[in-house]
Amino acid sequence: MKLLHTELLIARHFKNAVFKNSAVYIITLFIGVLLLFAAFSGWDNYKSQNETSEKYQHESREDWLKNPDKNPHRMAHYGNFAFRKSTSLSVFEFGMEPFFGNAIFLEAHKQNTANFSEAGFSNSMLRFGEISIAMVLQVLLPLLIFFAGFNSVAYERENGTLKILLSQGISWKQLLFGKILGIASIIMLFFVPTIIVLVLIWLMLQNFSISADETIKMLLFIGFHFIYLMFFSVIAVLVSASSKTSKKALVSLIGIWLIFTIILPRTTQSIGAYLYQAPSKIQFNSDIEKDILKQGDSHNPNDVHYKAIKDSLLRVYKVDSVQKLPFNYSGFIMTEGERISSNIYNKHLEDLLKIYEKQNSFSKAVSFLNPYIAMKNLSMGLSNTDYDSYIDFQKQAEQYRYNMAQKMNALQIKYISNKKPGPNDKPQTIDKNHWADVEEFHYEPKPVWEVLKTEITAIISILLWIILLLVLIKAAAKNLKAI
Amino acid sequence: MLVLLFKNFIRSKGTRIGLLFLLIIGFISLLIGRQFQEKQQKNITEAVIYQKEHIARNAAFHKDEIGLLLYYIKFSLVNTTLPISSLAIGQRDVNPSIQSVTIRGLEAQKYDSELNNPSNLLSGNIDFSFVLLYLFPLLIIAFLYNIISEEKESGTWKIVTAQSPNIFLYILKLFYVRILSLIALLSLLLLIAVFFLQIPIDKTFILFYGIAVLYILFWFSVCFFIVSLQRNSNFNAVILLTIWLFLIIILPAGINTYIINKYKVPEALELTLTQRNAYHEKWDMDKQATLDKFYKHYPQFKNYPLPETEFSWLWYYAMQQMGDDESAVQSKEFESKLEQRNNTGELIARFIPTLHTQIQLNEIAKSDLRNQLLFLKETKQFHEKLRLHFYPKIFDNAPVDQQKWNNFKVETFNDNSENGFVKAFLPLLLFNLVLIGLGWRNFKC
Repeated sequence: MKLLHTELLIARHFKNAVFKNSAVYIITLFIGVLLLFAAFSGWDNYKSQNETSEKYQHESREDWLKNPDKNPHRMAHYGNFAFRKSTSLSVFEFGMEPFFGNAIFLEAHKQNTANFSEAGFSNSMLRFGEISIAMVLQVLLPLLIFFAGFNSVAYERENGTLKILLSQGISWKQLLFGKILGIASIIMLFFVPTIIVLVLIWLMLQNFSISADETIKMLLFIGFHFIYLMFFSVIAVLVSASSKTSKKALVSLIGIWLIFTIILPRTTQSIGAYLYQAPSKIQFNSDIEKDILKQGDSHNPNDVHYKAIKDSLLRVYKVDSVQKLPFNYSGFIMTEGERISSNIYNKHLEDLLKIYEKQNSFSKAVSFLNPYIAMKNLSMGLSNTDYDSYIDFQKQAEQYRYNMAQKMNALQIKYISNKKPGPNDKPQTIDKNHWADVEEFHYEPKPVWEVLKTEITAIISILLWIILLLVLIKAAAKNLKAI
Repeated sequence: MLVLLFKNFIRSKGTRIGLLFLLIIGFISLLIGRQFQEKQQKNITEAVIYQKEHIARNAAFHKDEIGLLLYYIKFSLVNTTLPISSLAIGQRDVNPSIQSVTIRGLEAQKYDSELNNPSNLLSGNIDFSFVLLYLFPLLIIAFLYNIISEEKESGTWKIVTAQSPNIFLYILKLFYVRILSLIALLSLLLLIAVFFLQIPIDKTFILFYGIAVLYILFWFSVCFFIVSLQRNSNFNAVILLTIWLFLIIILPAGINTYIINKYKVPEALELTLTQRNAYHEKWDMDKQATLDKFYKHYPQFKNYPLPETEFSWLWYYAMQQMGDDESAVQSKEFESKLEQRNNTGELIARFIPTLHTQIQLNEIAKSDLRNQLLFLKETKQFHEKLRLHFYPKIFDNAPVDQQKWNNFKVETFNDNSENGFVKAFLPLLLFNLVLIGLGWRNFKC
């Protein structure tokens, strides 16, 4: 207990020293304003995004149900929409949201792109980044820690007070821990109020009815950010302790910050994108079309694949023309066509996603060298604004599209007469009650365990960072010199 | 004296590492630009081949029904990528540079996005504009934060003041050496770019170069002003980095958030729903009513009456047309919102040099929002032209094999909007003058 007393004393002393500088108050005020701005705009953005997407999801559902009796294939082209909804944590961490498409039109035969991303409607300003609470916590507070901490030991060394401290029987270990505690206590002055506001907003957004999954995500979000900020406090003190002058400490720390938060994230992702080139949409689509034609072209009357199906059907039902089959033949062919094209599409999509994952792998691997990337990936995962969540959304939408198209094909096979209508016949229809059989699209965000599984690299790297920094503190306590 | 100062500057290990780092990363940015350029080229080549094959194949299948054929075939319009775009890729990675449309309803096709890895978009490209905007200032700060303070801190300043007759001139020379080195580095990189990316040296390039030089000078002016306050190195480093942080991250991000929240675009989704309903509901409505609306839009087609048959292509395309016509209001609103976003952004950017530089570079490189909006407008005209060409053919059921399909090649759109020198240079020039003036005053006092 007495030992801890010394460390607390050092911490308090350091904190007081920092607060003697009037600039700190300006910075505090400024960061406070920024946090409020981030919270407000995040909230505003989240609310309007979700309100719009809910409104139109609902509206499009109403429209779907309102359709009168008609041919089910018309309905398959009328289609449905998948609108993306955000999770409540995305108020604090925007992640890749601005680059996600917000709506996918789901219709038969065709996998449409996710359109209307915020980025598509912005000018290049967006590329400077966005102000969110997570950005303040992950980018600005580390710099603030460095600005507050570069002096921590180096200044005492420059002044000669370091020798006095050490000669008074304080060990290096106590000194380092004391300084780390000092910085941590300053940072907590920002962190704790932020978290309180964060939790309040988060509770209000969900009308105080929170799910276990969301709660665990929130707790992890807070916990990991706490650890992350502690990292930077430790790094600041260690660099300060091993620098001859405070200027050297400052320059090194600024360098570390720039490399961690600005240079490495962009460079590693760019290297990935440079080495593994992804096809453009036009190439992707024409490759799919080629493969589908290879499998069989339902428009071509002489196509081998479809001719074989036709012949076997005629044989089984012992009839001589498709018009005499006891079910709707074209519905049957469309079911087959949908199955083939969607299989081929999915295969190509898997290949494309593999390329994307390779592109991302550099950045993921670098999280071992860079706690910022690890933290960013983890917090994006927890707020479901990461790459995997987006792919997950697209896959859920495609699954829904496929089921809807096949449902309509099944209705056609079952209820639509096989006789080809003459040029003046009324089109054949089925009862509109069938439309309700297709359920509304509902996107289920990835649960916390799934997120942790996909972000396992980030978690391991954070654990390794904890170990590394503890080892470094120990080594520093042993090897550091007073002069 | 100048030669000595230059030798002193270039001999420092830090200087050499800094310059070399910038040269290497600058070169990497050119490699990335080149890859971007090649990809764009490849896309165009592919689009040309694809369109030819695609039309030929479909024309062979649907020989007797031109209406059905045109249901399927797509025509592409390319948004020209200038060689200089590789230096400032801007929004060209987000937005597709090729639009492929059928003559059916345009609103359902116009906003189709490009395939993208969102991780790449989030982290952004290392294009030349990134190196210029983010990294050059950092090196400038690193060269200048301790320029006088270090000599003061190490005690050599007194010797300097004793030896040189004019201190202010001495400081100017220190700056001069550093400015010259960085401008030389910039010029070298852009010279390499000219050959490597085949950028023509024309007005556009000069504009680009001019902005880049002024932007670099802006950061020297900032440093000049901070140095003129004559504080210690640590103070200078902290304050300069904070300024950098503000200008590069906080202000642009804050303004972007403001603009996005101010001009929200729920019209985008509304538009999609409206056009879907407007077209589909016509299947269950009186055919003649739909056609009357169609004749009102295109009186020239009045002489094509509604056929007796249950289905006709005239009716079908009239229904498709209604999808566009009845969502025209939302489409216009949406478009004007986006224009407002762009204009507000440009207006505010004039007061923030970093933002101004980025937006101007992208404008010059035709990779900004304005270019995208013009491209969308052009797509609309392109689509309309095709419609007007094919409508009478469809209504007459003209024979497929008598159409000159070879004439339907991929078309290109050239954004010819001019960029003025005054608009591009003036804000940066003013900032430079004010900062230098203030710094001068501080030194003279």
